[in-house]
Parts: sequence; C-alpha cells; structure tokens
Amino acid sequence: MVRSSTLATAPQIERRTFGAAAPEKRTAFAFDLDGTITRSELLPMIASELGLEAEMRLLTELTMAGTIPFEDSFRLRFAILRTAGLDRIRSVVAEVEFDPHIEAFIRENRDRCFVVTGNLDAWVQPLQERLGCRFFTSTAMMDDAGNVTGLASVMRKNVAALELKEQFDRLVAIGDGFNDVPMFDVADVGVAFYGIHNAPDALLSVANYVALDGKSLCRLLSTL
Amino acid sequence: MSIVKHAVIAAAGLGSRLGQGKPKCLVEIEGVKIIKHILKQLDQVEDVRVIVGFEEKAVIAELKQLGRDVIVVRNPSFRSTTTLHSYTMGCQHLTGDCLFMDGDLLLEPESFTAFLASLEAGVPKLALTKTKTKDAVFAIMEEERIVGFRRQEPTEFEWSNIAWLPVDTFSTIGNTAVYEHLMQFLPIAGHEIISYEIDTSEDMALALSNTDLFGLKKLAG
Repeated sequence: MVRSSTLATAPQIERRTFGAAAPEKRTAFAFDLDGTITRSELLPMIASELGLEAEMRLLTELTMAGTIPFEDSFRLRFAILRTAGLDRIRSVVAEVEFDPHIEAFIRENRDRCFVVTGNLDAWVQPLQERLGCRFFTSTAMMDDAGNVTGLASVMRKNVAALELKEQFDRLVAIGDGFNDVPMFDVADVGVAFYGIHNAPDALLSVANYVALDGKSLCRLLSTL
Repeated sequence: MSIVKHAVIAAAGLGSRLGQGKPKCLVEIEGVKIIKHILKQLDQVEDVRVIVGFEEKAVIAELKQLGRDVIVVRNPSFRSTTTLHSYTMGCQHLTGDCLFMDGDLLLEPESFTAFLASLEAGVPKLALTKTKTKDAVFAIMEEERIVGFRRQEPTEFEWSNIAWLPVDTFSTIGNTAVYEHLMQFLPIAGHEIISYEIDTSEDMALALSNTDLFGLKKLAG
C-alpha cells in the first residue's frame, strides 16, 4: 500500500525542461480542495456542526503533520462525522467560501482543471456543482435510499495524478497538505499553497514553487 | 511608470562571504530587512518572483509576513549552482523582458526608479554603479554601452547585478558567473544608478556609512 508518509523522504526529481516553452503541449491542473480552493477545511466545519471540533482538530493536526497516514485518518474522521447525516453535511459543505481567484481560474479552464481531494464524493457534491469541473474523490457506499453506509475507496492522490498524466502532456499540481505529496511526486510541476496555512515541510521539499495567496497562484498558473 | 511586468530576485545563496549565517536578503540595515527594501522598490511590478534556497523557510516566512503577492521559486540545488541557474529557474515559462537582480542590494530609490522608467521593450540594459570595491565586476565602456567585463583593474563603473533582459537570455542551463554568461550578448546599454551590494563585511560597513541614501527610515518598524 502506498502511504504518503513513506514518500516524504523521496528525493526530489528534477523533471523540468529548460528552454523555450512548448505552447502546443496540453497542461492539466490538479487542485487540492480543502485549504487550497476552499478558505476553510471542510471536515472541521462539519465537526463544528456536531460539537466535535476539538476531536477533529487533533486528528487534522496529526494528519497534516504526517503522524497518522491520511487513509487511516480519513477512516476515523468519516466514522465520527457520518453520524451527522448526509443532508446536514451537504448543507454545511455547500456554504464554504472559495478563494475567488482560484475559483475564477477553474471556471475559465474547466476542461483542464481537476479537483483531487481525499474528501468523500457524496459530501463534496455541492462543490462539484459550484465549480463545474471533474472531481477525483474518496467514494462512499450508498444504500438504495441514498444514505452513506460506508467507505468504498479512499483517495490516493498519486493514482488520480497518474490518470491525468495519461490524458495530458503535462500536469501541474497545487496543494497544501501532507496527502498532496504523492500527487506532487507524479506531477511535472508542484505548487505548494501557503494561502491559508503553511504547507508541511514534506510538501515544500517536493515543490517547485510556493504561492503565498490565490492571486499570485493564478498569476503563476497562467504562465505554466 | 515603467514597463517592467516581471522581476526575478535571486535570494537562494548562502552568503558565506558576509558570514552572518543567514540569507543576505534577511540581513537588517537600520531595522529593515533587505528583501523588504527591494520589494518596496518593485512595488509597481506586477509579477515578482523570488528564488529561494538556503534557509528557504525563513525567507518564505518573511515574504508571507510582508504580504506582497510574490511567487516563490525553489532552487533546491542552491549549494552547487550559481545565480545564473536561479535566474534560469526564475524566468522559466515567462516570455518577453524581465528584470533580474540579486537579493542583497541596497538601492537609492530615485536612481533606481529612473532606471526602471528608462527601460524599453526588447532593449537590454544593465544598471551600473560607481566602482566601490576591488572585488567587483568592472564594466568596460564605449560611451553609454558596455563592451566588456573584467575582474581585474577597476574601471569607473561596476555592474550592480541588476539587468533588464529578454528571458531567453537565460534559456539554457549554465553554471558560470552571470557576467560571464552575459559577455556573449555584449554590447549592452549601461545606466548609472546608486546601489550598494553586501557581499562582504567591508561592503556592509560601506553600506552602513551611507544608509541615508536608501530611504530605509520610512520602512522601519
């Protein structure tokens, strides 16, 4: 099993090609969702609805720091949060604020922008509708009544990134968390996003660029 | 107003000759970090890219705190590469002309602004400053144009490590000194500014005896 924590020490591989840009190349952009496109982390928002902020904060901190592998952490968080019920979760998720610059960039480049998130398909569906681009997510098991009954798959971001690499000549990955390391490892260009909080050292160590806010991130992306 | 849209600041180096144990762009003069001073002089430039390497987290934290929406470019191989390599990384994927400069400069604002205002699209230009030290890149001039560089026998002007050049000047990987790379593109127009570099503690002492020049007081605090 690929655990993001085992990739943290992987040496940075220089994949850049120096020289004149080749404009005919098709470039795709893979965005992390929580804390990159959204200005708040979704799972803590849901936890706050349930009065479980402290528990969720601890889990989030341990995950961001790489202490708990993302997959285990997500299963734990899922187990805690699913009790809220799908409608309640979706109504919380639907309210989240997007970074306006990143949202505009995705809208203008829908056919080559993708969201790659560990979050659950059923939970983030309202955001997919708002952004209008393709999402790669963890997936839920649903019963006939449309209730989430369990986890079908937990996202491994390198898998989604590899799929995008098959379809495009070049992949630019943008993220802020430990679980973005495997995505950066596959991508041609990695941009660590420091807009909401600093990215962990492991992600910085495999990044080519650091963007300090959404505005400069999109300025950079428009030149890549 | 100037036509400068892109600026690349090389701030990846160890700064070992100065020996302060931190990146030179974080050295404080009169309570102002050099990077803050430089970004102030570039406040009209839309796209500023800072190349980081040595102590990158400290530089990134400072940039974040300054609140300027700069793009940070990582040069993880800073220990084995020169500024030339950082410039290539910094302007990668850009087109047109770009301002290239070192991150350890103290600039007299009026003369630097006049330099920026004098720049024209597609016309390379290097900023020169009155020769101050023995360890500099001296410009050999023919009227307003730089026709050569040398490290020995000081001339009237030294290169300030500020250049306005098309980005394809740095389209190939090189690991020589920047001035050596630029030789093949001479002659290039020169423009005098007032600037001080802080490569060594002697440079630092010289800059400190001229701090009134750099407009630091309004940036302090």
